[in-house]
Amino acid sequence: MKFRYAMVCSSNQNRSMEAHSLLKKQGFDVSSYGTGAHVKLPGPSLREPNVYEFGTPYKHMFDDLRRKDPELYKRNGILPMLKRNLSVKLAPQRWQDNAADGCFDIVFTFEEKVFDMVLEDLHNRDQVLLKSVLVINLEVKDNHEEAAIGARIALDLCEQIEAVESWEDSIDDIMVSFENKHRRKLLYSISFY
Amino acid sequence: MVGIMNPVSREKLESLSSSVKFAIDLGSKLELCRQLKHDLLEEDAADLSEFLPRIFDLYSDPSGPVRKFATEIIGEIGVKHLEFVPELAPFLITVLEDATPAVARQSVACSIDLFRHTLEKIAIRGLYSSELDSDLESSWSWMLKLKEKIYSIAFQPGSGGIRLVALKFVEAVILLYTPNPNGSLEPPPNEGTSIEFNITWLRGGHPLLNVGDLSIEASQRLVLLLDQLRFPAVKSLTTSVIVVIINSLSAIAKKRPAYYGRILPVLLSLDPPSFVIKGVHVYGAHHALKNALLSCLKCTHPSAAPWRERILGALKEMKAGGLADLALNQVHKINGSVEEEKDDSLLIKEEKPLTKTYDAAGSNVGRKRSGTEGSSDLAEKDEVAGKRVKATPSASEESTKELNRNITVSQGDISSTQSSTRKVDVDTGPVQQLVGMFGALVAQGEKAVGSLGILISNISADLLAEVVMANMCNLPPTHPHTDTDDELLEDMCIVGSDTQAKYPPSFLADVISLSSTFPPIASMLNSQQSVPNKIVKTEGEEEVDVVADPNSALAYAGMAHEDENALLATDLPVSSNIVLPGMKIDPPTPSDIHDTGNLESGIPGLDSSFRNDGLSDTQAASSLVSTDIEDASQEQATSFGGKSPLHVLPSISIDRSEELSPKAAVTDSSSMVSSTATSVVSSCPFVLPKMSAPVVNLSEDQKDDVQKLAFVRIVEAYKQIAVAGGSQVRSSLLAYLGVELPSELELQKVLREHILSDYINHEGHELTLRVLYRLFGKAEDESDFLSCTTAASAYETFLLAVAETLRDSFPPSDKSLSKLLGEAPRLPKSVLNLLGCLCSPGISEKAEESQSGDRVTQGLSTVWSLILLRPPIRDVCLKIALQSAVHHLEEVRMKAIRLVANKLYPLQSIAQQIEEFAREMLLSVVNVDATERTGAEGLISESHKDSDLEKSSNEHQSMSSISKDISADVHQSDTSHSGSSPSVPEAQRCMSLYFALCTKKHSLFGQIFIIYGSASKEVKQAIHRHIPILVRTMGLSSDLLEIISDPPSGSENLLMQVLQTLTEGTVPSAELIFTIKKLFDSKLKDVEILVPVLPFLPGDEVLLLFPHLVNLPLDKFQAVLTRLLQGSAHSGPVLTPAEVLIAIHGIVPERDGIPLKKVTDACNACFEQRHIFTQQVLAKVLNQLVERIPLPLLFMRTVLQAIGAFPALVEFIMEILSRLVSKQIWQNPKLWVGFLKCALLTKPQSFSVLLQLPPPQLENALNRTAALKAPLVAHASQQNIRNSLPRSMLAVLGLAPDTQSSSQAQTSQAHTGDTSNSEKDAAVTEKSKESSSAS
Repeated sequence: MKFRYAMVCSSNQNRSMEAHSLLKKQGFDVSSYGTGAHVKLPGPSLREPNVYEFGTPYKHMFDDLRRKDPELYKRNGILPMLKRNLSVKLAPQRWQDNAADGCFDIVFTFEEKVFDMVLEDLHNRDQVLLKSVLVINLEVKDNHEEAAIGARIALDLCEQIEAVESWEDSIDDIMVSFENKHRRKLLYSISFY
Repeated sequence: MVGIMNPVSREKLESLSSSVKFAIDLGSKLELCRQLKHDLLEEDAADLSEFLPRIFDLYSDPSGPVRKFATEIIGEIGVKHLEFVPELAPFLITVLEDATPAVARQSVACSIDLFRHTLEKIAIRGLYSSELDSDLESSWSWMLKLKEKIYSIAFQPGSGGIRLVALKFVEAVILLYTPNPNGSLEPPPNEGTSIEFNITWLRGGHPLLNVGDLSIEASQRLVLLLDQLRFPAVKSLTTSVIVVIINSLSAIAKKRPAYYGRILPVLLSLDPPSFVIKGVHVYGAHHALKNALLSCLKCTHPSAAPWRERILGALKEMKAGGLADLALNQVHKINGSVEEEKDDSLLIKEEKPLTKTYDAAGSNVGRKRSGTEGSSDLAEKDEVAGKRVKATPSASEESTKELNRNITVSQGDISSTQSSTRKVDVDTGPVQQLVGMFGALVAQGEKAVGSLGILISNISADLLAEVVMANMCNLPPTHPHTDTDDELLEDMCIVGSDTQAKYPPSFLADVISLSSTFPPIASMLNSQQSVPNKIVKTEGEEEVDVVADPNSALAYAGMAHEDENALLATDLPVSSNIVLPGMKIDPPTPSDIHDTGNLESGIPGLDSSFRNDGLSDTQAASSLVSTDIEDASQEQATSFGGKSPLHVLPSISIDRSEELSPKAAVTDSSSMVSSTATSVVSSCPFVLPKMSAPVVNLSEDQKDDVQKLAFVRIVEAYKQIAVAGGSQVRSSLLAYLGVELPSELELQKVLREHILSDYINHEGHELTLRVLYRLFGKAEDESDFLSCTTAASAYETFLLAVAETLRDSFPPSDKSLSKLLGEAPRLPKSVLNLLGCLCSPGISEKAEESQSGDRVTQGLSTVWSLILLRPPIRDVCLKIALQSAVHHLEEVRMKAIRLVANKLYPLQSIAQQIEEFAREMLLSVVNVDATERTGAEGLISESHKDSDLEKSSNEHQSMSSISKDISADVHQSDTSHSGSSPSVPEAQRCMSLYFALCTKKHSLFGQIFIIYGSASKEVKQAIHRHIPILVRTMGLSSDLLEIISDPPSGSENLLMQVLQTLTEGTVPSAELIFTIKKLFDSKLKDVEILVPVLPFLPGDEVLLLFPHLVNLPLDKFQAVLTRLLQGSAHSGPVLTPAEVLIAIHGIVPERDGIPLKKVTDACNACFEQRHIFTQQVLAKVLNQLVERIPLPLLFMRTVLQAIGAFPALVEFIMEILSRLVSKQIWQNPKLWVGFLKCALLTKPQSFSVLLQLPPPQLENALNRTAALKAPLVAHASQQNIRNSLPRSMLAVLGLAPDTQSSSQAQTSQAHTGDTSNSEKDAAVTEKSKESSSAS
């Protein structure tokens, strides 16, 4: 695998982790991040979300929620999701706070808002390396089912990107063929490290 | 550290570089390179210079990554040791042309670093000394060459991926060459300290660099960049290039605001549709442009200011208006320019008086209302006011005045005003448009009643609910009072204190339902926000004001006080006033008002409110500001202001007026929900103008309670007005509230209780569906994980609770559950599990056993309708049905099987699945072997664990029911069959479904034949039990015939049963008979299969088969016998008894390969049935047989038996015997023995026959059967007989002794020849005797 990938969503829980997990299994060099201010997980009602700081281990959240209401969190899929997550990595990471993780070649986002935040963050960094980074937004609805679908699509796209020698030369073609194949709109931008 | 020549490291470097060269695979090469780079950077310049060629050498490597790495190393060396630039730059220029894009890109990336460092170094060197050494100069000139080269790449079309970096290089150079306004203006005090380079440092002059020239070059390059984006150049660019250029330009604009004015026009003129490249990739560029514009918008530099307007416009066009506003707000905050907001607040304050003014004017209303004059006037003014409110906040003063004036005017037809003012409004969604439309129509009064009705009937209840809710924010904080409008208050009580439900008897029902539903909710929701006031003109000249007033506390209208204003009641009680047509406006009745005011919630201080009916004090009350001044004032002005002159009332903005409850600061004007929450809290009674209000802070819990109480009240109120119709709208509203309010879970519980308390009468189904659809919509709509997961969870809870209650409280025959599940937008797993439980009752539910049958039917019919109605979950439902079809209770199973086989199996789409499942189950009973067994047990223990877990987590029913059931089933089967094969009931459990399918698709039946051979005894038994019914149902089809024509080996018994069933009671078809015969002839030689059709075969064929039949086991032969003799009902007997016996006798054991024993058995079998094989039959048979040549082997035996059975036949037998004598029976030794036996048996009648024998034979006979001799001699000695006998005979008898010797010799001869045979015969005879006597 010649490229380094980052999967980014807002809480680094569902969409990015689904994709992270899948790509990791396929042997990609992949990391994942969230761009939100906190990690928010659904609670009993909309007003009572479970809020954690980035960096709180998934395991901790898992235990916390299991203690609170195992039935609810099992039914709404949160516990299974956390379980999956803690098998992938330790804790959710915030994109903006982890610039030190180095350069990625490809950054996937799953929501336009996140896409914008990633781009803004990249633009605000000192672009000295002049190392290009492709930021792709694949709009994925934030629920478990769609996340699974989104991850598969992202994997497909990653494989296509991986297959070419340099994405800079062929990204437009990849996008066209991708959009024709999956009938999904993609948004991409190019930034530099 | 540096500088000390280290021979070791040098050697190491050399070896490293050479091993890089010779390393075989790419991975190790790169690893070595990494090492090399690390080591090299530790080296000092002197060593490096020697080493450079070696690194250049590396670049000759064929693999791209290595070349890239070499380039990277070169770049880093260059940055560290700028003195090498003259050597490195040419190298980098070469690399730019590398065939591998990644390598070329690396070169650009290195170049920018190198360029920046060189520039900085030269610049700073130049600052401190006027002379620059030639090395640096040459470095610089090389860098310039490099730069030019990269420029050419950047602006040369079609250079691919490298172009992106090259463009970035251009951006970097432009930034370097232009002064950074935010950078430090002074160079660092000494070389080496690192501050970001700023070209401004060189203003003072520099030996090599000229700031002016550099800036000219930068701006030229910028122009080139901009040109790229101009039409038509932009057409030829790829999206990625466009994106990069846009990003670069926005970065330049941001960092160098001086260029703002040059960059923005280009960006703004970039027409998104024009960069449709290859037709697809607009988004990337479009989005980049949007972001670029947004980031430009955020620029706070003065030069950016003039562009803001245009950017905003462009962004709005790009549908990013909201973002733009956001950005703008940020800017405002940054700039501290809150003037506009201040204006707003000012406006609000100044609007306050207007209320009062109105009140004052109100007294005149009665008089003035007579005509509609001035309405047009009003319209105009309203419009103006509305517009002004928005556009020029400072004009509030003026607008207020205008509004004030408006108040005095009756509101006749102001629709035009509204529509025109609406346009001013920014937010015009479909709902808002509808709100406007309603307002317009209502304002037209009677005339519009018809169209109003049409409009209402044409939009969906849900949309109507949205309209109502959207309209909530238009509720005035107080309803307008006139001096005479107290009846309003009276009517307020309707909802507020649900004591008097008083509704306007007339006026269009639609309007009523609308207005009667609106105000209560509105008032409860937004005690502060205004609701549209429906002002309707009655036939008379009075106005009917339908006003919802949250501030029920105001109740006290028209009191001695003249000031009516501060209407800040926060109570939930609602005052809706519907003035009935023709009603007189009476003086206020305060008492009512108080009623309404007092809430059950009992929150202290909430219910006090005040009215000032006077102009004088109104100004003072100006502290009341609308929360969302913009919204409120605009809305009022636009949609309602025109309608009722009285209604342009200020809302209370807590943000602005400190005296008001601070709580309100939380208020979010845009969100109705939150405003509701806060508004409840923010009530404060205004006793006097300017008085600061006591503020009651409610905790979250209290808010929830209040909200819940309000909701309960609504629900209760709805119950009472159910008769009024319009339940659709009410349902929608309830659903809306239940879902949208913050304490949604509580409310949903209330709603659920309401629904379930009387599902039928409360239109539970409709309401449930509305709630579900709302929740579902939320779950689907929301892109954010939090809300959609929460909504999905709420959805599941709600549906499950309702479904469970429906199941438990309604009789099984009720269709509500089925209907609900059929129409709910989505069925989550837990609900399907519930259904599964219903269809496959587990052992745990024994309590319900009595009903379970009906429940199963209910469940199954629900499943059926779901399968028909909901294709997406067809599989899951099918699984439920199938699971039920292998249920261990036969009752359940049969119901399910009926459903599956009769209703589901005919469905093309799922037939295959059903078949596969049934086959699997069928095979499972056959293939149970040890390994599978253990597997199954593992599964069981697992599922048990699961269910335990679930139990512990309070989940009794839903989740695990299916798995529990299954495990229970499996478990049962496990215990019931200890051996390796399932028990009969277990086998039946698994096979019934398959059998049922067989009746629908006969070809499936073949599978049963196939498994039959290998099935265990129990399974076979189970199969046999099924077959009769099955085959009878199937009848004979071509499929079945085909199966019969080629049965797999091992299935003979099954085949037999099938054939038997097929022939039972009916005449088998010719094809069947033909098939069977063919089968018998070709494959299956077992005559048994013919047995069932024997009665239908022609007699001669049967006769041909007879040896085979005889060969059957005795019991079967007996059955055959019966069949043959009885024949079928239609054709009569196939054979007569005589024919049968004759046929038996026709068998020659040796020839036909049939043991003699079988034949004798067959005979015996016949003799057993004396009622059939009668004397006459036997006589007939014997008569015929005796004529046979040769005589049948068993003839004598049969004769003997005949005598045994029917002694009366003796005479006849004698005749036979004498015929035998004439046939020289002695020539057949076997029969001869029999003959003698018979003679012995029938003595003395046989004597005469014996005497007919020729003397030698007689002698033989007597020798053999000594017992005969004496009686015979005695017989012969009788004179008359003796006389008739020839001499030779007498000699034999010893009556003429001379001849005795010779005849003896003869006899002995014969005797010796026959011994062996005769003994055998004797034995046979013996046996047959035994058996015949036994029977």
